[in-house]
Amino acid sequence: MPEPSAGGSAHEDRLDLSAPATPAMLDLVHSVLEKLWEQHEDVGTADRIRFETAVIEVLGNIVEHAYELDAAPADVLRRFDVSLSASDEELVARFGDNGMPMALDLSEVAMPGEDAESGRGLALAMAALDDLSYERVDGRNLWRLTCRRRD
Amino acid sequence: MIEFAVETTAGGIGVVRPQGRLNMSSARRLKEIVDGLVSQGTTRIVVDLAETTFLDSSGLGALIGGLKAARQAGGDLRIARPTEAVRTVFTLTNLDKVLRARDSVEGAFDA
Repeated sequence: MPEPSAGGSAHEDRLDLSAPATPAMLDLVHSVLEKLWEQHEDVGTADRIRFETAVIEVLGNIVEHAYELDAAPADVLRRFDVSLSASDEELVARFGDNGMPMALDLSEVAMPGEDAESGRGLALAMAALDDLSYERVDGRNLWRLTCRRRD
Repeated sequence: MIEFAVETTAGGIGVVRPQGRLNMSSARRLKEIVDGLVSQGTTRIVVDLAETTFLDSSGLGALIGGLKAARQAGGDLRIARPTEAVRTVFTLTNLDKVLRARDSVEGAFDA
């Protein structure tokens, strides 16, 4: 079982993590975010909440999608990497994963009806963020999340 | 990284306390707990969110599913004492009107 590599290696203002795309990794990313806040104590609570909410929703989407309609043999491991950074102006997360391509048009993402029990993930991430982008490059899904600091 | 404390009050109200992060790993357990209470006849349920440090869309889905199950059985599900992180998610998804947060567990079914 491959272990997550570099459980938050620091490059000045950046934290990087590479790990298998499994639900258990959500808690690991929460831990890396805690480390980011320790390094940036000046980031306000509301900004932390918005950013953490969006990061976990996008990761949840990656993990779910990694196992969906996946024609790859079972021994092909789906992995993701994430880079988290904070500056005076913004909080940025970059995700990359080798999962299946997403048939995704972010401009069509909408909040589902009040009684829906699923389908809110990306809409919630977009509501929490100032910018979310997705692209498929060289067989990898790339996500960039930006949260401008407000408090 | 979550625990659920469950009790039934003398008034017959089920109280569920998710302690930790309510996310895609733990949402199913919340739904199972609520379904279990409803099937035992406890259809009035309060989810006390005072110790719920994080909520994601899966956790929200479990709360909405629990609300529907309780109402279909003639009861209701209410939320109480949400943390700032939880309140933010309700606001961002426009569900703060559907599941209005109550100030206390004891008073959650008053009015």
